[in-house]
Amino acid sequence: MSDNSWLSEIPQLDRHQLLDIRKTLDGAYRSFSREYGDSIEAFFDPLLTFLIWFEKLLLSSPWWLVIGVLAGFAYAASRSWKLTVSVAGAFFLIGFFGMWDNTMRTMSIILVSTLLSIMIGLPIGIAMARSNRVQSFVTPVLDIMQTMPAFVYLIPVVMLLGIGKIPGVIAVIIYSVPPVIRLTNLGIRLVDKEVLEAATAYGASSMQRLFGVQLPLAMPNIMAGINQTIMMALAMVVIASMIGVKGLGQPVLKSITNQYFTLGLLNGLAIVALAIIFDRISQSYAKRTLQSFEGK
Amino acid sequence: MKKILATSLLVTWASFSTSAMASECGKVTIADMNWNSATLIANVDRFILKHGFDCEAELVPGDTMPTGAAMIEKGQPDIAPEFWSNSMKEALDKGVEEGRIRYAGVTLSDGGEEGFWVPAYMVEKDPTLATIAGIKANAKLFKHPEDPTLSAFYGCPAGWNCQISSGNLFTAMDLGSAGFDLIDPGSGAGLSGSIAKAYERKEAWFGYYWAPTAVLGKYKMVKVDFGSGIDVKQFKECITQNDCLTPKPTMYPPSAVDSVVTEKFAKRAPEVMAYLSSRSFTNAQMNTLLAWMENEQADGEFTAEYFLTNYQESWMKWVDLATANKIKKALAQL
Repeated sequence: MSDNSWLSEIPQLDRHQLLDIRKTLDGAYRSFSREYGDSIEAFFDPLLTFLIWFEKLLLSSPWWLVIGVLAGFAYAASRSWKLTVSVAGAFFLIGFFGMWDNTMRTMSIILVSTLLSIMIGLPIGIAMARSNRVQSFVTPVLDIMQTMPAFVYLIPVVMLLGIGKIPGVIAVIIYSVPPVIRLTNLGIRLVDKEVLEAATAYGASSMQRLFGVQLPLAMPNIMAGINQTIMMALAMVVIASMIGVKGLGQPVLKSITNQYFTLGLLNGLAIVALAIIFDRISQSYAKRTLQSFEGK
Repeated sequence: MKKILATSLLVTWASFSTSAMASECGKVTIADMNWNSATLIANVDRFILKHGFDCEAELVPGDTMPTGAAMIEKGQPDIAPEFWSNSMKEALDKGVEEGRIRYAGVTLSDGGEEGFWVPAYMVEKDPTLATIAGIKANAKLFKHPEDPTLSAFYGCPAGWNCQISSGNLFTAMDLGSAGFDLIDPGSGAGLSGSIAKAYERKEAWFGYYWAPTAVLGKYKMVKVDFGSGIDVKQFKECITQNDCLTPKPTMYPPSAVDSVVTEKFAKRAPEVMAYLSSRSFTNAQMNTLLAWMENEQADGEFTAEYFLTNYQESWMKWVDLATANKIKKALAQL
């Protein structure tokens, strides 16, 4: 080849160099997982115990009690009979079409993942809003989390923690936490400078400003973020079932490979129903708290 | 700079035209299926056809169902080097009957091997674990990831054909009352990931897998003996059926893995057919090759070159001396 081959072809590592890099990194990861796998697993044990307990609780409770509690939540959050009746109706239909157990499994894992996402996301979002440096560091990380194909990081996680609930929860959180972080950050940054100045003039401390002024005013944005987090968590149900998480994802996978269209559609609709119910309850709760806040 | 580009263009054109001239058996398409052993065999075939038989061999991407259907209906691609023919038995038999395709030879001489496996290091410690009775007696060893009162059996991913057979065998051998829970790993990657995790840490593992695969080449596993022998009738009529009510234990019969070619091609190139009919791998050899492939993270082409260079005594038997010499000459030029 001529010396000018870089003009027509992009300079490239040769096969052996590339192979060495890949093998070294893979080898390093393997020894890491051999070395620390057990202790990392032990770290997640309390969460696993809680997940199993919660799933068993949902599965063993009588169906009318579960529906009753959910309808109760819906009413307490929204004070709307329409929503309450729709929630009870939707869950009854899910059970009627034979998807009760799987729906309970999915609901338990999604509820826990969403709560964890909010618990992780809110503080990070607040930190991002208060420091430009944190923002410039976190934003690309969020971009990676949202676009990296799930299986790229899932299989290493499986090597580390085995298949089942914990890797499933991790996958769901990685995918669903970014919206709540982004919108918390945005919401706080959008709060009027003058309002903040006024609060400072009244002698409010930094913490008082955050909890008394910024967070309440950012609430509509934060709630939009939580809504997106819930939706994305439910969208991950099928991916999570590909690493052995029980629930609505498994029948969906089964119906995709076997082309059982109705089975796929029914289970897909159950996922949609869960998403809509979670969303309506949380949104109407937020709306009511906002109204009472503004009414003061 | 223009001159350099022009020269490089000329060089590429020249290399194209030489390969185009060398065609007696003509243009051949080989299906390159999307799993490792199939892509390896496809690349071996391509190399041998190209350099040994002067064919203009080309790989086209494929998968069992679409490739099979295209070969029967459209006569393309010409060769499917690793076809698990049980997975579309009826359609293939009909294609043979209608004179559209032909079985050229057996690709894996032992046949595809399915079964329930445990890691070799467990059997070394306790040889009884190579039998289903020993597994049941030591059920407590196989810890369930989520429930300490249960034992884990890793089944076949949801929706795969083997989900039915492994589930029925689970019932047939009454593993449930021995404390085992049938875990659905969700995907092939999930299942192999669980084996890799257990093996790296020398943990217990018990579940369904199949060979030849890179996993079984890399991680030494022992096939558990059900103590029942192979009962083909029971396997076909009950174990593989969704509505099998009273399954009885039977080992998995070997599944046929063949080379399938289109009738058109078989008529056109009898000498290539002779090669395909004698070309076959044993599972042990294939497992080793696949393990090498995964260890080196090599692609099919690289592994095929490795195989042809290092396992000459195997492939020399598949071709006559003149062809073998042509292949050796091409290998020397790599």
